[in-house]
Amino acid sequence: MARGEIELTKLTKEFAEVRAVDAIDLHVPGGEFFSLLGPSGCGKTTTLRMIAGFERPTSGQIVLDGTDVAYTPPHQRNVNTVFQNYALFPHLNVYDNIAFGLKRAKRPKAEIRDRVGKALELVQLSGYERRKSSQLSGGQQQRVALARALILNPAVLLLDEPLGALDAKLRKTLQIELKALQQEVGITFLYVTHDQEEALTMSDRLAVMNAGKVEQVGNPRDVYEDPETLFVADFLGVSNLMAAQIVSTSTSACKVAVDGYELETRGTDLDVTGEAKIVIRPERIELEPHGSQSGPNRIPGMVERVVYIGSAMQVIVRAATGESLQALVQNTGSAIPYEQGTPLQLHLPVDALRVLPSGIGDAPSLKGEEPDPEPAAAG
Amino acid sequence: MTTVAEQRPAAGFSTSARLRGWLRNPWGKPRFLVLITWAYILWSIVPVLIAVQFSFNETRSRTVWDSFSTRWYWGDPVDSVWHDPTLRHALVQTFKLAGADVLIAVPIGVLLALGLARWHGRGSAASNFIMLFPLVTPEIVMGVSLLLVFSELFTFIHTGTTAQILGHVTFSISFVVVIVRGRLFSIGRQYEEAAADLGASPFVALTRVLLPLLTPAIVAAAAVVFAISADDFVISQWLSRGGDTDTVPIRIYSATRAAPLPSVNAIATIMMVITLLIVTLGFLTWRAFTRGESKAGTAAEDFGTAFRL
Amino acid sequence: MYRRWLWPSLSFPGVLWLIVLFVVPFYAVLAVSLGTVDPILFQPVPIWNPLEWNVGWLQEALQRLAPGGIWFDVGIRTIVYVALSLVLCLLIGYPVAYYTARHAGRWKGLILILIILPLWISYMMRMLAWVNLLQADGYINRFLMFTHVLSQPRDWLGGSSSTVIFALVYGYIPYLILPLFASLDRIERSHVEAARDLGASPWSAFRTVTLPLSKTGILGGAVLITLPMFGDYYTPNIVSMSPKTSMIGNQIDLYFHGGPQPTLGAALTIILAVFLTFLMAYYMWSIHRAQRDVGAVGAL
Repeated sequence: MARGEIELTKLTKEFAEVRAVDAIDLHVPGGEFFSLLGPSGCGKTTTLRMIAGFERPTSGQIVLDGTDVAYTPPHQRNVNTVFQNYALFPHLNVYDNIAFGLKRAKRPKAEIRDRVGKALELVQLSGYERRKSSQLSGGQQQRVALARALILNPAVLLLDEPLGALDAKLRKTLQIELKALQQEVGITFLYVTHDQEEALTMSDRLAVMNAGKVEQVGNPRDVYEDPETLFVADFLGVSNLMAAQIVSTSTSACKVAVDGYELETRGTDLDVTGEAKIVIRPERIELEPHGSQSGPNRIPGMVERVVYIGSAMQVIVRAATGESLQALVQNTGSAIPYEQGTPLQLHLPVDALRVLPSGIGDAPSLKGEEPDPEPAAAG
Repeated sequence: MTTVAEQRPAAGFSTSARLRGWLRNPWGKPRFLVLITWAYILWSIVPVLIAVQFSFNETRSRTVWDSFSTRWYWGDPVDSVWHDPTLRHALVQTFKLAGADVLIAVPIGVLLALGLARWHGRGSAASNFIMLFPLVTPEIVMGVSLLLVFSELFTFIHTGTTAQILGHVTFSISFVVVIVRGRLFSIGRQYEEAAADLGASPFVALTRVLLPLLTPAIVAAAAVVFAISADDFVISQWLSRGGDTDTVPIRIYSATRAAPLPSVNAIATIMMVITLLIVTLGFLTWRAFTRGESKAGTAAEDFGTAFRL
Repeated sequence: MYRRWLWPSLSFPGVLWLIVLFVVPFYAVLAVSLGTVDPILFQPVPIWNPLEWNVGWLQEALQRLAPGGIWFDVGIRTIVYVALSLVLCLLIGYPVAYYTARHAGRWKGLILILIILPLWISYMMRMLAWVNLLQADGYINRFLMFTHVLSQPRDWLGGSSSTVIFALVYGYIPYLILPLFASLDRIERSHVEAARDLGASPWSAFRTVTLPLSKTGILGGAVLITLPMFGDYYTPNIVSMSPKTSMIGNQIDLYFHGGPQPTLGAALTIILAVFLTFLMAYYMWSIHRAQRDVGAVGAL
């Protein structure tokens, strides 16, 4: 197995009556930047803490590079954590903070000095050895926390919403730095966040969690463009959901009826019948002038509102079917052709339209197939 | 057209109008509150200052001032604090008890604070209850109970210094717990988790990470225990054997009801100064350890918990 | 992360100490007050077995406290002294705490230090200070005669209830001001400003916003000082040489240090403790709650 490979099997954590983590199965191959994404309370932090060792699982396995560490104390696991508030020891300076783990491992002084120096270089904080954490900015503290964890060469680095406390600009810079760092160091980064944009930007793959379960696992493109549940569709980006009636489904194409209009969508291997939802991303909606070329998946509509957000425009259109849909139009610099009240035609391209079962978080069942090696949801 | 000058009212409000305006200013501080506060502060502190002043009186009077003298401190060959054995021993006994109290109660209290803060199993609620009890019990009840237990049950312990120390520690432990536990809750688990994450065994996490972070609270607790012990009257009196097991508060008490000399003022002043010095020292040490902490009001958290703030 | 037995083990020394030297002594008081008295030596004979407890002395003590008994006046007097002192402490202390918390501005730090200062000064010294001032030739009498309020020096220390109440107020008020201050300090400015914004006058805003929000502070501070006041015996003894002003604490003190019947004293102590139980319970609960509010309780 590759280094830093994590396998969670039926991992469960109960607090009093509440199942914070509900028998999840997850596989993270070594060397990936993997994110756990979800709203507060979905169980992502609890999962991370179980992997780190600060929470004892109620049941289940945590296999790290072939060994089940679920019941091993945290100081004996080969994982290290970057905490949300950094948890830099206030009574130690930067050097002693970073050297802490090496001192616990009783490494010789010369080796410690050497490795701390290299760690500081890695996070671009050389020369800051004597500072106390209270003298550092948020971004600097975060980098010290990184260095402190990475210096021990863990198989996995766990990051618990490390950028939450920083302002937007700094966050963007550090996202890029973290991603670069992971590629340079080559170990598995397991990153917890509730910010979907962050997860999409940085991850090689991600798992979307909700109410203690994993809703979908995949790379950013798959999760964003092919959401498998309503929750995933809604949580990542704007989803433009419409209620629809299933006419027919197959793995190559589906037909649905929306308020009298028949639309064709992408195929699905989910078993959906009757009431369902269809979803399309704002940037895929095409706006055509009123009464222009006809064709499949065209719905008339009228512009409700235009919101200028700098790099693009959000055009909120009320479709003839009754829903308000949000389209995203790139700002090309030319005059805005839409204003409130303009009638136009919405084109929902077939391969951008996806069918999802109704009801948030409903677990879709696979039609007579065996569970994938990476199942979308459990039980 | 009228000019602004003509529209202006006659120059100078009447004094009563101005006074009323001063008193009624909606944005100004309510004046009577200022007066009350400063009057209170004076009423609170000036009598003590006067008592200190009289400790330096040349004559034997505590009420009529003559001239400045250090007679009652060391000058008078019979009655000064330096020469009068009862006064001297009282000072020594007071600080003996206070010192022993700090040395015993603080370690026990710190351990108890750690234990109670994290323990959630069976018995933790009862233990917490037992810990809170001395804080709410009137001292006379405690004095009676300790006297009786030493005379009827633990008869191998007689009234005197040992009994007094045992009594002092008993009511001090709870103060230490409340102060240290308060800070423990503020710190949270994060540093110990970080330490464990980096390879520290639980023992190392406790001793090398948590305890250093608790130092300010421990220092505050020690200062508070010292002051409370030095000031203690009831327990010390009930468990005293008389003679040189009497403390300064006991001496002041007995002297006040007889015909005291300014030497009483002197010894009270000495004790007050030393206690204040120790508390200030404790506070400065505390501040040295909390330098760089951005949270405002941490002083209130540490020292204030003693008074249940 | 930590072994489960760690926390109980750390608690063990403290809990053991408190059981041996606090709980057991309390039981000793019960055993003595519900025991008998050796008729020859006049020594109390404690009875340790609850099944054999003798309520005779307890009944005797209750009879003495009941109307008509010799302690009845003392009991009433104690309650009156404590009630009056509490009211006076609140009347003086609340404005001071209020000013310090809300209007002191740049003086706040200094005033706080000055208010906290008496807490570190020995209670006895503060009483001594007033005993000196209230002497026949002390400053108070001299000032009052100088301003012609009095024509001859008044005996303040010979058994005057008002002196005792005055001393109680002086002695205990700092312990009331501090929790009051803390609770007032915690009230957000924006609440009061909102009330003003919605049309309340300063007095009305105080009455409808600040006062209710400071209720816990008032209650907490009041309990904090009434509990020890009920057991106070040294204050009346210092500022009044007379049994006319004796409180319950004095009776207990007498029966242990003066008279031959510690059993009665023990019985009275038990009655006092029971009387104060509700206050004590409330106080315990408020400390417990305040501790939990400081931060989340962590389980490891």
